[in-house]
Amino acid sequence: MDKERFPDNKSLILYFLKGSAGLFAAGWLFSCLLSVFNLTNPRIIEYVIDHVIAEKKMELLLPAVLLIVFIALLAAVCRYAFRYLNGKASEKFVCRMRDCLYEHMMQLPFSWYSENITGDMIQRCTSDVELVKNFLSEHMTNLVRIIVLIVLSVIFMSGISIPLMLISAAFIPVIVLFSYTFYSRISSSFRQVDEMEGYLSAVAQENLTGVRVVRAFGRERQEREKFTSFNEKYCGRWTHLMRLLSIFWACSDLISGLQVLTVVSVGAIFCIRGHILVGQYVQFVLYNAMLTWPVRILGRVISELGKAGISLERIRYIMNSEEEKDGEDLVEVSMDSDIVFDNVSFSYENEPTLRNVSFTIHPGETLGILGGTGSGKSTLMYLLEKLYPIEEGCGRITIDGVDINRIPRKYIRENIGMVLQEPYLFSGTIEENITLTSDENDPVLLSEATGTAMLTETIEKLSRGMETYVGERGVTLSGGQKQRVAIAQMLMRQPRIMVFDDSLSAVDAETDARIREALAKKSADNTVILISHRIASIMNADHIIVLDDGRIAEEGTHEQLVNAGGIYSRIFKLQTTI
Amino acid sequence: MIMENKKDKTVSLPWFGIPRLWPYVRPYKWKIVLMVFLGVLSSLIDAAYPLFNRYILNVTIGEGKTDTLPVVIILYLGVLLFQVWDNYYTIYSCARTELFTDRDLRNSAFGHIQTLSFSYFNQNNVGYIHARLMSDTGKIGELVAWRLMDTVWSGSYILFMIIIMFITSVRMAIGVIIFVPPVVFLVRYFQKKLLELNRRVREINSNITGDFNEGITGARSIKTLVAEDRMFEAFKKDTGEMEKTAVKTAHNSAFFITSVSFMSSLMLALILYIGGHLNAQMLVGIGTLSVFMSYAMEMPEQIQNLVSTFSSILAVQVNIERFTALMDTESEVRDTPEVIEKYGDAFSPKKENWEKLYGDVKFEKVSFTYPDGEDPVLTDFDLDIPRGSMVAIVGETGAGKSTLVNLVCRFFEPTEGRILIDGRDARERSISWLHDNIGYVLQTPHLFSGSVRENLRYGKPDATDEEMYRALDMVSAGDIVRKMEGGLDCDVGEGGGHLSAGERQLISFARAILKDPALLVLDEATSSVDSVTEKQLQNAVATVISGRTSFVIAHRLSTITEADIILAVRDGKIIEQGTHSELMEAKGYYHSLYMQQFGIW
Repeated sequence: MDKERFPDNKSLILYFLKGSAGLFAAGWLFSCLLSVFNLTNPRIIEYVIDHVIAEKKMELLLPAVLLIVFIALLAAVCRYAFRYLNGKASEKFVCRMRDCLYEHMMQLPFSWYSENITGDMIQRCTSDVELVKNFLSEHMTNLVRIIVLIVLSVIFMSGISIPLMLISAAFIPVIVLFSYTFYSRISSSFRQVDEMEGYLSAVAQENLTGVRVVRAFGRERQEREKFTSFNEKYCGRWTHLMRLLSIFWACSDLISGLQVLTVVSVGAIFCIRGHILVGQYVQFVLYNAMLTWPVRILGRVISELGKAGISLERIRYIMNSEEEKDGEDLVEVSMDSDIVFDNVSFSYENEPTLRNVSFTIHPGETLGILGGTGSGKSTLMYLLEKLYPIEEGCGRITIDGVDINRIPRKYIRENIGMVLQEPYLFSGTIEENITLTSDENDPVLLSEATGTAMLTETIEKLSRGMETYVGERGVTLSGGQKQRVAIAQMLMRQPRIMVFDDSLSAVDAETDARIREALAKKSADNTVILISHRIASIMNADHIIVLDDGRIAEEGTHEQLVNAGGIYSRIFKLQTTI
Repeated sequence: MIMENKKDKTVSLPWFGIPRLWPYVRPYKWKIVLMVFLGVLSSLIDAAYPLFNRYILNVTIGEGKTDTLPVVIILYLGVLLFQVWDNYYTIYSCARTELFTDRDLRNSAFGHIQTLSFSYFNQNNVGYIHARLMSDTGKIGELVAWRLMDTVWSGSYILFMIIIMFITSVRMAIGVIIFVPPVVFLVRYFQKKLLELNRRVREINSNITGDFNEGITGARSIKTLVAEDRMFEAFKKDTGEMEKTAVKTAHNSAFFITSVSFMSSLMLALILYIGGHLNAQMLVGIGTLSVFMSYAMEMPEQIQNLVSTFSSILAVQVNIERFTALMDTESEVRDTPEVIEKYGDAFSPKKENWEKLYGDVKFEKVSFTYPDGEDPVLTDFDLDIPRGSMVAIVGETGAGKSTLVNLVCRFFEPTEGRILIDGRDARERSISWLHDNIGYVLQTPHLFSGSVRENLRYGKPDATDEEMYRALDMVSAGDIVRKMEGGLDCDVGEGGGHLSAGERQLISFARAILKDPALLVLDEATSSVDSVTEKQLQNAVATVISGRTSFVIAHRLSTITEADIILAVRDGKIIEQGTHSELMEAKGYYHSLYMQQFGIW
């Protein structure tokens, strides 16, 4: 395997920080300035008490007060700049992170999607992204802010009295260590509560999705007992955790209170003995008060920092997954040429799906592929569309004599239109779905496409017609309706080669026949590949392949196959003789 | 079917809906009273701390009286220790009140959900009901504990500060008080704006999550459509919108916080100015000045707390409304008091009074319209099903094949007419009695997380291993389970995820027959499995339906040709009725359905 794109978390976070690092730095700079201004206020108060009032220079009072207002204005500017820049930086950062993830995922090979669990990947793109964002915009920012504040306070305090500063600062490591230890230890309790909530939520979820079973088996009482007992456990865990937290808060209150008491008493004594002035005493007490909260949350901030590592690791996994790649010296061949499957074999995770399949599709021909579930008929088309690579030595597919490894994948997919058995409708209107991949919005083409797909009537019946919202957050269409939307969607693209992968399976027989008829008229000179397990759907094809267990069992025209007396004729009899 | 959640009644409840919560809060009322009392005490202490400083500044330092200092220190220490205990107790009992109320709300909601009829579940999706049960209750719990505490604490803190200010210096007090209205105005203005913006951010956020979901689950379509770039463009539009809105939020909240703290500084400046002059005239000491300075810094923050608490109390209204709407929903299918009297309800059944069920089912002039539908799906429908018969219901996916079964199982009640079971109106006996006699196998078998044994015992809690294996053998799943790690103790995973679809279905068959039901419902039980399993299942079906009245809903017709009565359903209505040969002869809808089927693959 190639060298990973992001060998460690640091390289990844630096990559995401492009475009927002400067903003973060500027924000932090303003936060430092803010601390300086905040620490200036008590100094002015000290001046007022010790010099203006004590020395009866009342004419200086107004200027001093105005200075406070002025400093407050500067502080306000800094505070706003810091908050705003930090907010902007973190939004830019998270936006880039999401965009990078999404863009990268779009380029990942299809096999990646089947190998990874959807829910887990979504979680990485949402919760983990959020966690990393908070790491920077809250925890890192807080860390910077608090450390700067502590350092500056210590310097300002030293200016008043070094012994008093030492007394005040001596408590800092005690409080930080205490809360750091507590939060590191308690994180397992938080996890337990989360876990318990997960269980409780799952019990409710299972009960609701299985409501028919619960009722039909008359298990309401037991279900309630089960829920109640999990609920009790969840509540118990929380209560335990809250008890620990309340004890912790009480202890922190006590330590902070003792610190204030020590500083106040010693300060008072210093003041009486004349080591410091009254105003300096007030100034010192104010500094001390300003430090209390930041110091108390510092331990927690430090313990939070470690958590981001795990999330970054999980995001890095996605960013390091290898993108879909085309081979070298690419050529765009003419699609009006023979497509040849040459001795192709394929396995999903060591489960052989196709064994030595060879056949040729001539341009303009209609090929029918008949096969049961798991016979490998869809896989054939996935290989043609380059959704999965063909392994070395497992045969090859050529178009116009050129190995498809040398044809750009987007070129192939654009020219070979495929309608899936279970097409996916995207959130949006029906019209948006149908015109999803067509560049220009040609109303004539649109009405033709919907007509051919037998959609016109169905759409008219919907209250908002083409503007009906479908997909996850919209109206749910039936399987057959979805398939017909997908057919219209493909027709809008006007590809040279059309593949219908069992794509009329959910449509009733009558509509199926009418769509096929309309299609045959429209696409007389297109190459068409029809995949089905209904004989009626493929019997008019120029050439028919019967797949069984990954092998070509029979091939020929409908008449030839019926006369051959093999599987095909057996199935054919089954549907016609009833 | 189109699923749209039933719109909540948006009738505003009187007094923010709080009176409706009383029954859930009542058990904890004394705890709450104590908690409020201690909270007030704690805020009083917080408001009083600056007075120590005042004493030290005015008396100890100002007059040089050092002999009282030890007393002050001891007193301070005493107050501190008391407050530490007080805070600990308040927080802990506040947390307990929240958690206990939460728990009780969830339990009642869950219990109530167990009694609701199927129309509720058809009209509201699982996610929606789940949110009512799990998150609305949590929000209400927060309201009766933390929000209450916050209001009391900040409110009394502000009140005590004002009282102390007026006692110590009226002139300076007025200097502080004049700032209160602008601060309140400021906070309210931004609070409203931020609330709106935050809602918008949450909305976009859920869109982005939806985008990721679409991008991943729709991967195959995206690739074959070469829509990667378009999808990314659409995604960037959402994230761009998010950035814009979130930055706007950041601007507003930055401006908000900045202006509140600027107000605080202005207050401080004014206090210093007034206080400086008063001190010069010997009217107040430095100590009093320092008390006011502390309050000037504290006051805006407490006002902000109080206002934001009010707005979150208002926000919880929605949760209360949704919760009470859930609790007010009544089941459309209910036993009469007389029936409950005799047979008991779902939570306390009186099994000793339950009669044996033989399985004669008769529809008598039954008409039925779904509660969320307009057109009747059954009109004056008559059908006599003697015990032991097999009724097959066929039709395309989504044609409404389940209606008849829904009525027999009393998941819904007929709009008109009646259904007789063993010759008596089904409503004369309890729903639980009926359900106890029904075996139900669904298309997607729903297994619960836990062991195979727990799942099998779902219908018969006291089943022995021997009985369970006998049931499993009947559906030829005995050997499969014996080979599993731990046999009956094998963990099936969430939703049965550790087992294959076929294994899950076989176990759900065994589960249904273990309770030896007189009525058996197979709801598309043999579709969506591979052909080998399907063969096994077909054999199992033949074994289990013998001797029982059975309803078989089928997509594949090969399984039901032997049925005594076949009903063909199209667009929700029964359009043909008869045996296989009769219906084939008629060359109608059933015939055409049959012709379409291939079965062999």
